[in-house]
Amino acid sequence: MSGQNGTSTTRRIAPPIEMTREQVAGACPSCGAEALERYPVLAENGWYTVVKCQRCLVSASRERLDHIGDVQPLVASLEDGDLY
Amino acid sequence: MTIDQSLSHEAPTTVAGELHGGRLLRDLPDDEFLAHYQGDRFTMSILAARFNYVMEHVCSHLLRGAFSPIIREYYDFSAGLAGPPGLDYATAAVAKTLPVFFGIMRDAIAATVDEFGVGRIREGDLLVCNDSYRVGTHINDTCFVRPVFYHGELVSFVAIRGHMLDMGGIVPGGFSAALNSKYEVGLTLPPMLLFRDDKPVKSTLSLILDNVRFGDIILPDLLSIHSALAEGERLVHESLDKYGIDAYLGAVRYACDASAETIRTSFEALPDGEYVGEDVMDCDAADPDTAYKIAVTIKKRGGRAEIDLTGTSESAKTSINCAWPDIKSVTAMALKYVFKSNVPFTSGILRHVDIVAPLGTVVTAQAPTPVMMYFEASFALGRAIMNAFANVLGPEAIAGGTDAPTHYAHGVLPDGTPWVEMATCGGMMGPFGATSIGDADSGETNYFTNYMLPPIESIELNSPVMLMRHEYLVDTAGPGTHRGGAATLKDSQWLTAATATMVSSHGRYSTGTGVYGGRDGRAGGVWYWNSIEDFRARHPFLVPTDDAVYASSTPVAAVVDPETHVLDPKGTFYSWGQEALYDTDPGAVWRYLVHGGGGWGDPYERDPQAVLRDVRDGYVSIAGAAEDYGVVVLGDPDNDPEGLVVDGAATASLRATSGMASGR
Repeated sequence: MSGQNGTSTTRRIAPPIEMTREQVAGACPSCGAEALERYPVLAENGWYTVVKCQRCLVSASRERLDHIGDVQPLVASLEDGDLY
Repeated sequence: MTIDQSLSHEAPTTVAGELHGGRLLRDLPDDEFLAHYQGDRFTMSILAARFNYVMEHVCSHLLRGAFSPIIREYYDFSAGLAGPPGLDYATAAVAKTLPVFFGIMRDAIAATVDEFGVGRIREGDLLVCNDSYRVGTHINDTCFVRPVFYHGELVSFVAIRGHMLDMGGIVPGGFSAALNSKYEVGLTLPPMLLFRDDKPVKSTLSLILDNVRFGDIILPDLLSIHSALAEGERLVHESLDKYGIDAYLGAVRYACDASAETIRTSFEALPDGEYVGEDVMDCDAADPDTAYKIAVTIKKRGGRAEIDLTGTSESAKTSINCAWPDIKSVTAMALKYVFKSNVPFTSGILRHVDIVAPLGTVVTAQAPTPVMMYFEASFALGRAIMNAFANVLGPEAIAGGTDAPTHYAHGVLPDGTPWVEMATCGGMMGPFGATSIGDADSGETNYFTNYMLPPIESIELNSPVMLMRHEYLVDTAGPGTHRGGAATLKDSQWLTAATATMVSSHGRYSTGTGVYGGRDGRAGGVWYWNSIEDFRARHPFLVPTDDAVYASSTPVAAVVDPETHVLDPKGTFYSWGQEALYDTDPGAVWRYLVHGGGGWGDPYERDPQAVLRDVRDGYVSIAGAAEDYGVVVLGDPDNDPEGLVVDGAATASLRATSGMASGR
């Protein structure tokens, strides 16, 4: 409970945010395990959507996302050709 | 000439992308090495070293011309050298200044250039961007990017991240953890053109200078940054003239590959598995009851790793969040620490590490969720990563260090001149934690910064403040076979009315966690005494450090006895966020006592002569030597320090008795 002057005797943890992972059919190209999942990652050179083996961490595929992930400035809703 | 884009990085964690088929650089035959990098080993090493030379010259140039004390004396800036878009902006070198900029440099350059448009830039341009959600840290840390053309071809970029003294917003200087949205933080600059043909773009300059305070300092800083990057371009041209474009670009790749290889082989030396760690931030400014957890699970397989932040708390309502780019900086820094690696900092450090980062957490805030005190969340992430490794590294773990609570103040001099003081009068300096190598240093920055604290004379010249104490406090260091660093106590007295803000995300417990049997450093706190008349009459000069003085203080960030205000782990937590702004009268005193550094190893295994030395030097009291180390020291440390002796028989008896009692 909060007291006066910003004191506190109890503490709760703000809710966690989870990452949604999609299971993908097929075998890992490296170890053969059927443990592929699709999810976004932040890597050496920016954001990717990967399909990755959860047993050996080898990626079956990596698709480039925008440089700033799925954050889209509002101006991106306009066509480049419409902008000076 | 067209840059050969086939030399770009392959996706490194695919089977096809395993560089050199998994072989080490040193195992490549010379002809294969030459074909891949367009230069021999000697030339690559020379060029990689020269990239760092260029960075040092850019920084020296900026330091010589900077007007802002936060750049000139605090080193709150960095520089980077990146390859062209064809090399995916691979960043081969950064300046050895604030590492919070290192890991974000590549993404900041890429985001700035790509959004502005590669086809729209030309020689003599200088791009600018400060948006935290695009380029990381906070909006004061503006990103400046200069393209380098060679015979008409875009071959490289040189960049500076530099802290501008003000970027508008509702708090002078910007520093506040109580901001509620990005619109309170200040002016956001998307990727824009600041210079064209080496001339300032009037509209951009006006946009900045019309919206910030201290424009008379910021304008010459902008001109100095342009000049420093022009010098960087000149030095890059020298390299290109001497070694050629193919070798230059090969060396950019070589530098990044070498870093990637070092981290990969470091991971390979660890056991496969999942390492779990966490760190908890006390609260934001809106609610002292709600804490924010940073959850880290490191999955490691061979030389690959995935750092998963799933389960991290949602973003805070006020500005203690960081945005996604900062994740990379603290991750890379944490890896350098835990691997005790001297690997040069390039973008390649994270080649074999994927970060799983759900958006909307306290470390991945999205606009308009406020980001200003980004370091609170990003450093907490760094600690969580190091905690995760501590469970695996055993004796090679590194104990925790200071949290570095920060203090900011502003006001107006009697003649009407506004002043602002940033991050020099709080708990910026504190201890490291101990390691297997030895005792920890005291009076350092925290693990994830590397700034220079300006000289006290400079601080007192810039602002109406006097630094009254800056000293180590006895018995605060975490006991261990190797002792943690001692906590720093700092008192500042403000000579005019002042409005202060501060943040201390770990007031509930010490961040100086002990490892490998070492014990935690003592928890610190923050208090202030306003200039009430009777208090100044009793303490006209120095505020004492004994317990009795705290009753008249206002605790700000600490767990203390609610009556005496003395530190008490079973006491009441006082949140730093109890006031968004602390208005104080002339003469008010703020006290920051940072947490002690954690110890390494069982303190009862510490050499009694080392404990004796600590008593002589004021790190440990005679009582602390007995209680924490089981060492009986005889003598008077204040009046006869060289006459101190260890009572060997009493020490053996005490250690045996205490050891049995504690189950050692």
